[in-house]
Amino acid sequence: MKKILIGITLCFLSLHSFSQNFEFGSVTHADFDFDRNTIDSNANAVVLKEYGTTSFYLDDATGRLVLIFDYHTRIKINNKEGFKQANIVIPIHKNDRDEELILDLNASTFNRSQNGFVQSQMDKKAMFTENRSKYISLVKFTLPNIKEGSIIEYSYRLQTPFLFNYRTWEFQSDIPKVYSEYAAFIPGNYNYNVSLRGFYKLSDQKSEISKECLRLSGTPVDCSKMTYIMKNIPAFVEEDYMTAPSNFRSAIYFELADVIAMSGAKQSLTKTWRDVDYELTNDKNFGSQMKRKDVFKDLIPTLTKDAPDELSKAQAIYNYIKKQIKWNNYYGKYSEGNIKGVLENRSGNVADINFSLIAALSAANLDAEAVILSTRENGTVNKLFPVISDFNYVVAKVNIDGTSYLLDASEPLLPFGLLPLRCINDQGRVINLKKPSYWIDLKASQKSVSNYVLIGKLEADGKIKGTITTTSYGYDAFNKRKEIKRYNSIDEYVEKLDESMPKLSIGKHQVLAVDSVEKPLVEIYEVEFAAHNGTSNNQLYINPFFINKISKNPFNLNERTYPVDLGSASDQKISVMISLPGKYEMLEKPKDIAIALPASGGRYIIQSDMVDDKLTVNQILQFNKAIYSPDEYLYLKEFYSKIIQNQKTDVLLKKAD
Amino acid sequence: MKLLSFTLLLALVAPCVFAQDNYDADLIPSNLRSRANAIVRNSVVTVDMRATDNVSYTVSKAITVLNKNGENSARLVLFYDKNTSIKSIKGEVYNEVGKLSSKFSQSDFRDESAISDFSLFEDSRVKHYLPLMNSYPYTIVYNYEIRYKQNLIIPDWVPQTANDVAVEKSSYVLISKVGDEFRVKSQNIGMQPEEQLVKDQKTTTWKVSNLLASKPEPYSPFRETYQTAVKIAPKNFSYYNVKGDYTNWQELGKWQYDNLLKGRNILPEATVQMIKELVKGETNDKDKAKKIYQYLQNKTRYISVQIGIGGFQPTKAADVDRLGYGDCKALVNYMQSLLNVAGIESYYCVVEAGTEKKSLDPGFASMNQGNHIILCMPLKGDTTWLECTSQKIPFGYLGDFTDDRYVLACTPEGGKLVRTPKLSASQNLQVRVAQLTLSKDGNVTGHVKTVFSGAQYENHESMVGKPLSEQQKLLKEVYDIDNIDFNQISYLQNKLLKPEATEDIDISIRNYAALNNDKIFLKPNAFNVKSNVSESKNRTLPLYLNRGYTDIDTISYQLPEHVIPLIAPDEKEFKSAFGSYSSKTKIEGNKLIYTRKFVLNEGTFAPALYADFAKFIADVNTSDHLKLYLNFKK
Repeated sequence: MKKILIGITLCFLSLHSFSQNFEFGSVTHADFDFDRNTIDSNANAVVLKEYGTTSFYLDDATGRLVLIFDYHTRIKINNKEGFKQANIVIPIHKNDRDEELILDLNASTFNRSQNGFVQSQMDKKAMFTENRSKYISLVKFTLPNIKEGSIIEYSYRLQTPFLFNYRTWEFQSDIPKVYSEYAAFIPGNYNYNVSLRGFYKLSDQKSEISKECLRLSGTPVDCSKMTYIMKNIPAFVEEDYMTAPSNFRSAIYFELADVIAMSGAKQSLTKTWRDVDYELTNDKNFGSQMKRKDVFKDLIPTLTKDAPDELSKAQAIYNYIKKQIKWNNYYGKYSEGNIKGVLENRSGNVADINFSLIAALSAANLDAEAVILSTRENGTVNKLFPVISDFNYVVAKVNIDGTSYLLDASEPLLPFGLLPLRCINDQGRVINLKKPSYWIDLKASQKSVSNYVLIGKLEADGKIKGTITTTSYGYDAFNKRKEIKRYNSIDEYVEKLDESMPKLSIGKHQVLAVDSVEKPLVEIYEVEFAAHNGTSNNQLYINPFFINKISKNPFNLNERTYPVDLGSASDQKISVMISLPGKYEMLEKPKDIAIALPASGGRYIIQSDMVDDKLTVNQILQFNKAIYSPDEYLYLKEFYSKIIQNQKTDVLLKKAD
Repeated sequence: MKLLSFTLLLALVAPCVFAQDNYDADLIPSNLRSRANAIVRNSVVTVDMRATDNVSYTVSKAITVLNKNGENSARLVLFYDKNTSIKSIKGEVYNEVGKLSSKFSQSDFRDESAISDFSLFEDSRVKHYLPLMNSYPYTIVYNYEIRYKQNLIIPDWVPQTANDVAVEKSSYVLISKVGDEFRVKSQNIGMQPEEQLVKDQKTTTWKVSNLLASKPEPYSPFRETYQTAVKIAPKNFSYYNVKGDYTNWQELGKWQYDNLLKGRNILPEATVQMIKELVKGETNDKDKAKKIYQYLQNKTRYISVQIGIGGFQPTKAADVDRLGYGDCKALVNYMQSLLNVAGIESYYCVVEAGTEKKSLDPGFASMNQGNHIILCMPLKGDTTWLECTSQKIPFGYLGDFTDDRYVLACTPEGGKLVRTPKLSASQNLQVRVAQLTLSKDGNVTGHVKTVFSGAQYENHESMVGKPLSEQQKLLKEVYDIDNIDFNQISYLQNKLLKPEATEDIDISIRNYAALNNDKIFLKPNAFNVKSNVSESKNRTLPLYLNRGYTDIDTISYQLPEHVIPLIAPDEKEFKSAFGSYSSKTKIEGNKLIYTRKFVLNEGTFAPALYADFAKFIADVNTSDHLKLYLNFKK
């Protein structure tokens, strides 16, 4: 996977002239005449210009330092599909004490008429604030008199007391942009780590000194003013099988690294991993919870009394925590309460559950650590320097006899050592109470495997009666167990399964190891279905792809921009053995083929045969990687196409005389 | 009699109703457990109509959740707004054996805004709570009281809200003053309510018990049409300080016209002049209306802002004129005002919109029916309907969003129930003609033309006006064939009174027909394979087919030279109460011609007929998968 995280070096040389914020309402005929074909003929709307700044400001009323974010944009609406750009939602963060504020909102629509431009100013009454929840409000407004070809313009100031939230600037959005400029004013005593994500490069940047931009405790402070410009930015379009859009969208991020107080003392904030390690292991909602062996001290002897070795001890504890504490559906790297209370209430977030697991494992004298990570939809983490806010999840790691197992007790249907798919996202950081932290690969410890075996008998009327046995492992088993659990009983599940396939009827059934998640899930169904219409018995065309026939190509597009992420490697085997009603000769059959993806990325094998009046068809479909590069997309497409081709063809049987 | 003392007690002290009940899950009768994820052990809903602007709504409920799937039934969700306040909430959670496990109160609830996805703003909030329990079964018991400052809209009583919930016992108590008039509609309850008079207070009680859970059944009628329910509508009402009275649709429509609509149609003089100028050259009203509709579609867009008199009053026409946007009420009111200038009469109509056809109940007028507004122009017998929230929809066309159902027209003379036009199976047409060439490698290229009309007019509406690359992507979802590519795409929309949309596409499909040995395998029905419907064993509900349609496909394949133009002729034709199907494959010269016609009828059929329906569709599906084998010349 291409690395798309680029550290920015600040150069203090300035060779280009930089524009300032543009004047509100200074629309021109050139704006109206802008030809979208120059940037993207598909664009429903285009950002013509966009300008933003963030700066520090001492709020005289409260005496507190706040961040001020000024935003101004001008957008051309090309067609009706682009009208939704005129409906704007700005999220406002808040907590019990503080709240962000939107000030100076200005919004207008410009339409061209015979005698110039007509400006329709938005009424301030048209702005609504929706109190969404305890932590978020949404400021919403919509612009008047939108037509195809309208220009809209709006600007506002957002004032935030949350100094950690130095505004991220998103160069890329769902519509293309002609020009986007962001100026960040940062006082000399503040130090931020700046990083650019995405596939596109800055068109320009510069850094200069802004004299006495701020007074702190009566002392004037200089700021560095950093300006970043990107031009002709394509729209961001999401694709199937991709992880978090934030991994790929072009944007510039700021993370506060350290602050020098007026006294000259330097206060470092998440500067090195050593600092982070110290902070986390001493945090009352992190390290302190990992250390709470005392909570489990009395429980461990009973829990592990039948466990002969360390591995079975760990498994017993893992099963206990899975059963005992229910996940409240919240992620988190910090516990919400203390794990003693969590165990009593039998409910908690991911951190509560996995810190309980770590503490319990430690109480049994096992070597347990924490691994912080970012879930797939949350994006990948910055590896150049620690950005603690990138992480949103924590799991346990237990090391036994030189092997380490990653454990997440929030999903009761997962086997020991397999993380949920949401955690399989590049790398996580192992946090140890005593040793320095380090990176670890987050990979699915088991392949997704499904094996199908159909043994049946073809009757004279064209029906096949037989038994399908399916064995699933890894995420295949996990997903099936989840589906089965949606029903009150296995009977109800099978009934639904049977009803969903009107051409196949299920007789007796058996589903094994639904709750024994360490074992493969086994389903055995007695089935009956029609293989041909029974009209001609001398020559029979039979399509032998009775199980999971592939007729649609999941990769049917002609181009791909971002990597294809399937989550885990997978493996599917299908064996069919059908006894025929009498002597037959196989005149034709689907070609026996063995095809592969480049660099052992995957393979498909099919082989059919006729032995002793039995028709056998064996197939293997393997994907050996979880992530395929955009260059490999067309190979995947062709690979599937070949399989589809093959599965369109039939076996032709002729009755032997 | 136990009930009597029970309701009397309720009237005096509402909370703590079942303080002495035993919530041991073992006490649940086994027939109630069948197919149930949750069981309402006991529920008492009490509506006390103290005054038109003071209604107390009290709920005491005990629900046993049998498993994780039943958890949603334990979720307590309470909406509130300026006219609705939550007075009190408290509750307890009991474990499997009925032992108290925790208590909760209002402070344990999450509080969020309750704005629907389609709205920019609404004046509604929600509080919700779900107990955190990880062993099943458990029982949640709660009491809450909501106070309404109005009595126009009183929630319907629906004791069984989902099919996976069984009900042990449930009752509905209505307390009113003697002499208060109200209408009641009860459905599928099988009992007369018990009435009790104490001084000037009348108590009416409905009771149900042992309602069993059932499995979901596909293609069944809307739940609202058969579920047990009691609806109440008081005659004299108060709403956001506006008073009124009604006992039928006529009066309710009149009240809406007088209080919500009248006087909101004033337009700026410039617009009045502009409209007069616009229609000057037209002689008949319909052509005038067409021009005005076109003006509306160019000027306005749909933005939903639900505020003011409970979200029932449209924004003034002058405001829409200034802003160029509005919600369905505002845009209909604006269109009506514009038509008014041209001297064309029209009615503001309340409708329950959605592809499912739901009528306003002709037998029971109430304010909580309908979710959308459309406009009706009588035009001296040539009744014409307008959907005012879309900038694309043809003049006079409603589509499947509001077709074939009763709507309430609010006129100065009062409300009238009117039925919107029906789109029949023979009108809802999709006609496709494809001329394709099959190459010797199995590739297919050619031209496909499809005409959509009736309720199918909007089938591919989402493609229209999209850029080519986006159309190519979307068409790959519609024509999901491996290796298909679209080289030329065009749409033509004929927005006449019977609108038609035509899609013309040039396609190529690499390796469409598979080659094996000296044969070529061809599936002639490339584009329209009917999916199977699932079976529904032990069916209890009728089979309901909401809307019929007709699909006609004609595909011709020019065959490659080295193929012997010979196939076993195939002809299928069958018919049932649910529709008809015919397909035919034949060779004409060097061409293979496939024709297919499928008609699905709408209607309601006895439960026992479901199996026949599934069989009918399965036969269609099998026929659609016809595969032909063509031999190469030797």
